[in-house]
Amino acid sequence: MKKTVSIALAGNPNAGKTSLFNALTGSHHKVGNYPGVTVEKLEGFADHGDLRFRIVDLPGIYSLTAYSLDEVVARDFLLEEKPDIVVDVLDSTNLERNLYLCLQFQELGIPVVGALNMTDEAKAKGITINEGLLSESLGIPFVKTVGTNGKGIKQLLDSCAAILGSGALNGERGAKPAKAPEKALWTLKAPHYGEEIESRLLPLTELLGSDQAFSARYPARWIAIKLLENDENAMKKLREHTKGQEILSKAQADRTWITSHFGKDSEIVITEQRYGYIRGAIREALTRSPGGKASLTEYIDRITMNHFLGLPLFFLIIWGIFKLTFALGEYPAALLESFFGSLATLAQIIIPEGFFRSLIVDGIIGGVGGVFSFVPLIVILFLCISILEDTGYMSRAAFLTDKALHAFGLHGQSFMPLMLGFGCTVPAIMATRTLKSPRDRIATILAVPFMSCGAKLPVYVLLAGTFFPKTADNVVMLMYLGGLILSMLSTIVLKKTVLRGPSTAFVMELPPYRLPTWKGVFWHVWGKTFSYIKKAGTVILVASIAIWAITTFPQPRDESAKAQTLAAGFARSMAEASQEERDLAVEQALEEYRLEYSAAGRIGRIIEPVIQPLGFNWKLGVALVPSFSAKELVVSTLGILYGSGGEEGEESESLRQALQRDPGLNPLTALTFMVFILIMPPCLASLAAIRSEAGGRWLIFQVVYSMALAWIGAFIVRLIALPFLGT
Amino acid sequence: MRLSDTRPGAIFTVDRVLIGGEIGKRLAEMGFTQGATGHFIRGAFLRGPLQIRIRGYDLLIRRCEAKLIEVSI
Ligand SMILES: Nc1nc2c(ncn2[C@@H]2O[C@H](COP(=O)(O)OP(=O)(O)O)[C@@H](O)[C@H]2O)c(=O)[nH]1
Ligand SMILES: [Mg+2]
Repeated sequence: MKKTVSIALAGNPNAGKTSLFNALTGSHHKVGNYPGVTVEKLEGFADHGDLRFRIVDLPGIYSLTAYSLDEVVARDFLLEEKPDIVVDVLDSTNLERNLYLCLQFQELGIPVVGALNMTDEAKAKGITINEGLLSESLGIPFVKTVGTNGKGIKQLLDSCAAILGSGALNGERGAKPAKAPEKALWTLKAPHYGEEIESRLLPLTELLGSDQAFSARYPARWIAIKLLENDENAMKKLREHTKGQEILSKAQADRTWITSHFGKDSEIVITEQRYGYIRGAIREALTRSPGGKASLTEYIDRITMNHFLGLPLFFLIIWGIFKLTFALGEYPAALLESFFGSLATLAQIIIPEGFFRSLIVDGIIGGVGGVFSFVPLIVILFLCISILEDTGYMSRAAFLTDKALHAFGLHGQSFMPLMLGFGCTVPAIMATRTLKSPRDRIATILAVPFMSCGAKLPVYVLLAGTFFPKTADNVVMLMYLGGLILSMLSTIVLKKTVLRGPSTAFVMELPPYRLPTWKGVFWHVWGKTFSYIKKAGTVILVASIAIWAITTFPQPRDESAKAQTLAAGFARSMAEASQEERDLAVEQALEEYRLEYSAAGRIGRIIEPVIQPLGFNWKLGVALVPSFSAKELVVSTLGILYGSGGEEGEESESLRQALQRDPGLNPLTALTFMVFILIMPPCLASLAAIRSEAGGRWLIFQVVYSMALAWIGAFIVRLIALPFLGT
Repeated sequence: MRLSDTRPGAIFTVDRVLIGGEIGKRLAEMGFTQGATGHFIRGAFLRGPLQIRIRGYDLLIRRCEAKLIEVSI
């Protein structure tokens, strides 16, 4: 049995943690979430000699403050789980700022090994690092690595093993870590904050150490520094300390003293001292060969961030992505559709007529097949977006769009989630994680559902294609545009009401352009696609069966009597028609009768008074029921309701004709209905995402808010469009 | 003068960040500390964010935050 050692892989965003993680663990890893939040957690193993390293990839952060979710997650993980070693991944081209985080790990009292990553890029930039000198002055072992090709991995693991061998670590996990550090090389050094501050830190640290239980949980010096940094999270932790109150007032006095002594806030002073300490350490260890021509990044940025070219280029890229997505995706989507069509036909042949066949063909194949036909679109969309993200273009997009988005109370980084919202709301909401301020995050989460996701498209295509045959694409475009405008207006209102408060800093790194690796892009796309397929396989499968059930049961008992009455009626009214035509008419009328009798029909009838002012009949009411679980189900439900049989695509001719025949439907109703679908609450999977990202209260808010807005919006659109479209 | 008053292309030295709290702390942590030299590369269209090179890397910062940083040229 090998001894298991836990390693936390930490570092700045884009330093190469994930690349290094993949190089370390090979394919032995699993993707999960940190408890309670949807910050992605990668976990894997690497065997080295007689040791087994359990490696966790922490979210990328710049500091251990508690201002963003990522920081809180990383901090809690280090404090609560107490990994045996922190491997800090540093971007060698940007060592100074990267070391800033490294020092904070050191202060946590967990052994740190520094991975000087991106050494290839640093070399190209003329940066030389003497890792021996750096190790000596900081008291941290440093190893040079290249995340993309796995160079230095072995040496990195050697260093980890060496730290263990140095006796720095107690064998027992959870054992009090306070004893060992004194002996160990790696904590002989800790950042020094200058005499004035150290003289304040020392008594505070001693006072914190007076409570054994507390200092076993949290490193005393670290808490002391955090208190001087005015860290609310650390102050909260003091409640567990027996002398909490005393420490709190002492820290307060110390902060006041530092502020008056240095003439600036104490949290700024601490930061400046840390950078001063780093300066001292790298003065000799790092050399930069002077000169050097403007980098390729600089040349590209002259175009992509240009005053006049930047934005047009950006819109061209987005337009190109959507064009590519729909043009390329059409073929595999059509293939998948015909595949499910044949599957339905096959089922009809091999399964005897009855409920079971109806369940398989209408319920499962009809419902799930429709969702699967979107997979090619999702794959292509995410492929493009991953490439934009991995090259670094997304930060340029934030640069270009921040001014406009800020006017609405959003953030340059809201842009990506909003754009993803056109693909699928679920990953879009998950992508809001990059936003550091909770208020901006919530604002973006609430704006995303108004972006017409891929699942709303078939509804638009079906209704616009049926009722606006000549101008269908313009109508669909109008829906997309309307959603965009609505989301902006809604954000302005929300930011002035429920989300009021001071705005937060927009300080983000602009990484150099990098060629994305195929592996990185593949994992991105695979992860996103898989979560979509999982949604199709679970939520939508269940919903499809449920919808099939409520549209099938209960069944009318007097069917044969009804059939006779109908046949007699048609014999008179359709006297000239052939027997077959009359049979068909009877069958269709019967189908409708069954639906009216079913649970869905009754629900449609019940909500009819509510939706009548919008001009919706009960059938549209029935179609709205499953739209809560997934928008694309509107199409298949209309397919069942209008009896177009097994084939229910949005392009289906028979469904279009059936819709046109219904006197209750006309262009005005179709438009109003599309507006309602656009605004109403997103699908179940999205609601689940909102709940995990923003919490239950915002979930309820979103549902109530968008429900009310959908009704009002549809009503207003109906009023405005009435003179143009008639009834 | 403030960072927001400088022009694209300017090379500056940070004198101080004028506020503390979350925003000031973040600015300092990203490298705006006393004595650090920076380079204002370019600003976005219509007084959008600024691209600043500091401590060997580039970052984006809004004008309203640039106003909180006192610099000298
Ligand atoms: N040139 C170079 N690129 C790297 C290296 N390590 C990672 N990258 C690239 O840097 C980018 C960010 O890497 P990633 O692992 O996603 O960083 P993370 O945000 O820290 O997880 C990706 O495009 C990687 O391919 C390296 O050592 N050298
Ligand atoms: Mg990563």
